[in-house]
Amino acid sequence: MTKPGTITLARRLLPFIVATVVAVAAGLWVSDRYFNRQADLADLHGTRFSEPRALQPFTLTDYKGRPFGTEQLKGKWSFVFFGYTNCPDVCPTTMSVLKSVASRLDNKVPGVQYVFVSVDPERDTPEQLGQFVTWFNGDFIGVTGTGQELEKLTRQLGVIYMRVPDEKSPGSYTIDHSASVLLFDPDARFHAIFSAPLKAADLAEDLTRLANAYR
Amino acid sequence: MNRILILLLGLPGLLLSGTLLAGSLIEVQQAWIREAPPTSRVLAGYMTIINTGDSPAEITGISSPDFAKAELHRTRVVNGVATMVPVESIPVPAGGRVLLEPGGMHLMLFDPARRLKRGDRVRLQVKQSDDTTLDFEARITRAPDDNDAHNHPR
Repeated sequence: MTKPGTITLARRLLPFIVATVVAVAAGLWVSDRYFNRQADLADLHGTRFSEPRALQPFTLTDYKGRPFGTEQLKGKWSFVFFGYTNCPDVCPTTMSVLKSVASRLDNKVPGVQYVFVSVDPERDTPEQLGQFVTWFNGDFIGVTGTGQELEKLTRQLGVIYMRVPDEKSPGSYTIDHSASVLLFDPDARFHAIFSAPLKAADLAEDLTRLANAYR
Repeated sequence: MNRILILLLGLPGLLLSGTLLAGSLIEVQQAWIREAPPTSRVLAGYMTIINTGDSPAEITGISSPDFAKAELHRTRVVNGVATMVPVESIPVPAGGRVLLEPGGMHLMLFDPARRLKRGDRVRLQVKQSDDTTLDFEARITRAPDDNDAHNHPR
C-alpha cells in the first residue's frame, strides 16, 4: 500500500532524478574519454610538449618557388626534418623513414604533410631540392631560404646546423645538423619531437594518437 | 668465393710456415649501397665484416672503380645533432664481426662514375693494415622499408 502523497512526490521528483542520472552518466562518460585520451598520450614514443609552442613568422621558399611559412603549416599535421641533399647517411635514412610513415598512415589521418628543410641553400638549388624530396615521395615538400630566414625558424625550435669543412678536399664541406623529426599541429604549433634513431611504426602510431586526442 | 680465393692464395705460405690457418680471414657479407636520388653526388654503403681467422684484423681503407673517392665514416648523434666523423681504421677481432649500418659506420662513396640504379652491382675493395686486399660486390638497393631492423638504439 502506497499513500497517494508519496506517489505525487515521486512524480514531482522524477524529472530531477532523470536529469541527475543523465548528468552524472554524461560526466562520467566525458571524464572517462578525457582521461583515457590523456592516458593514451602518456607513453608516446616521441616527446610531446604539454604546452605546444606557437611559431614566430618566417619565410622560406619551396622548390616550386612558392612561399612557405606558418600559413603553410596551418590546417595540417606536419612532420619536419632539417638536412641537406648531399648528406649520404642520416638524411636519406630519415627520408626513407618518413616515406614509410606516409605509406603506413596512408589516409587514416587526414591532412599530414612532410617537409624537408634544407640548411644548405648554397648547394641545394630548387631543382636539386625538388629531385631529392620527390624521389622519396611525390607529395613531399622541400623548402629552404636565406641563412637569415632559416635562422628565424631554427632558433625558435632549438634546431642546430653548422658547416664542417672537409680537410681532405678544400672547398667541400659537410653539415652537422639536428637529427630529430619535429611535429607541428594544425595550428602551426611545435607539438612534439622525435629523436634519432627513428622508427616509422613509432611515428605513425604517435601521430594517430595525437590526432585523435587533438581537441 | 672470396674466402676460397684467400685460402688458395694463402696456401703456399701456410704450407711453408707449417702452421694451420694462422692469421685473420676477412669476409664481407650483405654489402649494399643505398639507391639515391639522381642528384646525389655522395652515396652511403653498408656491410658486415667478418673475421673468421684466429688473429685480429684491421680494415684501413676502401676503394671502388665506380667512384671517384671512397672513405670510411661514422655517423654520431650527440645531443640530437648528427655529425659525420672519418674513420681511420676498423678493427675486427678474431672470430668477430663488425656491422656497418644506417646511422652508424658506413662507406662514403663520392661522385659515382655512372648512374647507379636499384639492382646494379658495384665492385669494391677493402684494404687491411697488412696491405692485403679483398674484392667484393655491393648491390644497389633501397633501404629496407624503414630500417627498423637496422636502427638499433645506441
